[in-house]
Amino acid sequence: MSTILELKNISHKFENNLILDKVSLEINYGDKIALLGKSGSGKTTLISVLNGTIKPTKGKVKFFNKEYKELNIHQKRQITTIWQDLRLLEDLSAEQNVNCGLIGKKSFYFAFENLLNISSFKKAHQYMQLCKLNKSIYSKKINKLSGGQKQLVAIARSLIQESNILFADEPFNNLDPKLIKIIKKLLLENKHREDAPNTTLISLHRLDLIDGFNKVIGIKDGKILFNLRKNDLKKFHLEEIY
Amino acid sequence: MIKSKINSTSLSFLPILVFIPLTYQLIINLHFGGFELFQEFVISIFNPKINNEIIINVFRRLKETMIISYSSWIISIFFGIIFGIISSNIFYNIFNLPIFFKRIIRLFLTIVRSIHEIIWGLILMQIYGLNFSVAIIAICIPYTAINSKVFAEQLDNIDRKSLASIKNINGPNFSTLITLIWNPVINTFKNFGIYRLECSIRSSVILGFFGIGGIGTSILLSFQTLNFRELWTYLWSLAILILISRRMFKKVKLGNTNPNLNIFLLTIVIVAIFTCLFYFIFFIFNENIENTYAISNLFNSDLDLNTFKILKLISDTIILSLLSTGIAISLPPFLLFILNNKIGFIFIRLTAFFLRLLPPPLLILVLLTFNNPSLSLAALTLGLHNSGITYKLLITNLDLQDNKNYIAMKSLGASKRNSWLLGLFAKQAKSYLAYCAYRSDIIIRETAIVGLIGSVGLGWQLHESLSSFAWKEVGIVLIAYSSIAIIGESINAKIKSALT
Repeated sequence: MSTILELKNISHKFENNLILDKVSLEINYGDKIALLGKSGSGKTTLISVLNGTIKPTKGKVKFFNKEYKELNIHQKRQITTIWQDLRLLEDLSAEQNVNCGLIGKKSFYFAFENLLNISSFKKAHQYMQLCKLNKSIYSKKINKLSGGQKQLVAIARSLIQESNILFADEPFNNLDPKLIKIIKKLLLENKHREDAPNTTLISLHRLDLIDGFNKVIGIKDGKILFNLRKNDLKKFHLEEIY
Repeated sequence: MIKSKINSTSLSFLPILVFIPLTYQLIINLHFGGFELFQEFVISIFNPKINNEIIINVFRRLKETMIISYSSWIISIFFGIIFGIISSNIFYNIFNLPIFFKRIIRLFLTIVRSIHEIIWGLILMQIYGLNFSVAIIAICIPYTAINSKVFAEQLDNIDRKSLASIKNINGPNFSTLITLIWNPVINTFKNFGIYRLECSIRSSVILGFFGIGGIGTSILLSFQTLNFRELWTYLWSLAILILISRRMFKKVKLGNTNPNLNIFLLTIVIVAIFTCLFYFIFFIFNENIENTYAISNLFNSDLDLNTFKILKLISDTIILSLLSTGIAISLPPFLLFILNNKIGFIFIRLTAFFLRLLPPPLLILVLLTFNNPSLSLAALTLGLHNSGITYKLLITNLDLQDNKNYIAMKSLGASKRNSWLLGLFAKQAKSYLAYCAYRSDIIIRETAIVGLIGSVGLGWQLHESLSSFAWKEVGIVLIAYSSIAIIGESINAKIKSALT
């Protein structure tokens, strides 16, 4: 299997605190990885390093065998992220926020039309429907939505980018069990489109959600404790991280 | 040992002490020569002159004021947004440009806004002569720089995480930029831009005092002919214009979800901006420049300013700014505390309304009817006018605030005054002081206006030098003015960041 992302001895400090400690990791094409760890274990920072948002203090990150800054725009657009804190634009409507995911593939005029509310929302609605968002909230501003609805908008914004590599930081927060099942299927099985993301890394809190992944990574205090195939995961591994 | 601690609440009241030296000075300079005139001025407030002739004149003058203020407002907002964007951190972050350019642009804008529109107006009048376009340009120059500062500050407040998430979509840089700044720009326009229209109207009135036209010229002429009833007709019509303008633009809902309305509003804005721009270009290439030689004269004009004189003028201007700022900060909370009852509140509200309505040059002329010109009188004028503005902000924020603490204080048996002070004002004190720090930037710039009329500080010297075409002196005074304003602005920025 070809390696698409490689971390070598990554360490990252923030305000003199060591958040990631000599992390080495390989992500291959087609991997479905569950990233497990307690709150504050370094999951979010690791995802920020993986998607190129944070440049680590030490170590090397290779995307498609290149450094992030050496990637061309098409390669960069292969990566999409669902952030734990969602990072939606509060003053825009739900459909405008989802449409923001398309600005990578469209011209400046599309971004402008989207802000003026005169662009086409056909594709945005399609993805919002997939995420089981109710039609009545499409034109509502983000600050008028519930936590769960915001979560689904963030997921739709990420999926509409139609990238091949998806990083998701606790994407099932605020969702009820039925919705979690649907969204997990969307993120892992990707049956909504032919060229759907085939490489996925999702950080999780709940152990009962690791079905469907083929790899599990455990992180504690910024260190990778294990990086196993899901079938090799034992109970004591999980006890180690929680 | 009991340690006394100065907090924001006590800091808001402390500057009231400036009234001790100020009152002494004002008493010394008191005269009763124009007291009857002052009485007549006050009585005329509720007895303005109304006849066909004056009504026609009011409409004609209001039209002129509106042309100047509305055009300068829309152009300065437009360029303010553009300069605000290119002097904000987010622009350099998205386009990966060296931050050095931002510093250069910010320095340039700081220098431009440090000089008051009246000074720009006087300089441009010397070159282009008296006309509307001079007034529009004179207001536009510093207003663009002021607006750009506010827009840049708001854009710098954009959440870094939102920036990272939109950047991560890897769209074209302009798409990323517009997506991130659209709403902050609209919100800043709503919260700040409409208030700037009011400022623009006031500035065009003050420029009218120097003969540029509009209602300001009529106000001054009425005052000079001691026709106070006529004067109040103009002042009341000015109040109505400000009120209508404020209400009219508050009704416009920008950034709404109605696409047709958005396109319509955008079209109006674009048409208005381009009309103003084409008019400018027409003006620049068609108007006769009356004093082009003024610039070349800069290097061979006389210089009658020695170091001692310029240092004295600078110190006068600084003292004037400090005294005025002291009054503007402390007078509103002090009066609200002392006159803490319904009648007191109505009295303060009315006084503040009149203080805001009367342009500082008119206010100083009114005060000159019973006081000799002095630094204290100029400080009082500027302080009173600005306290009308700080009062409005304070009372608006107090009205918006919940009164749980006030009720709690009263239920504990505290007096009405103490409940107001500790239950209501204390919560607002910090943000009130932060706003006053911003206001003192404006006060420093405004010392030019009262200086011109009250024969104090650099403003007066500038007027003298301009009148005698002593361009070298004008240059030196402007450098001194800019330096004070820039230093003041950087000190105030530190105070603001410490308070917020």
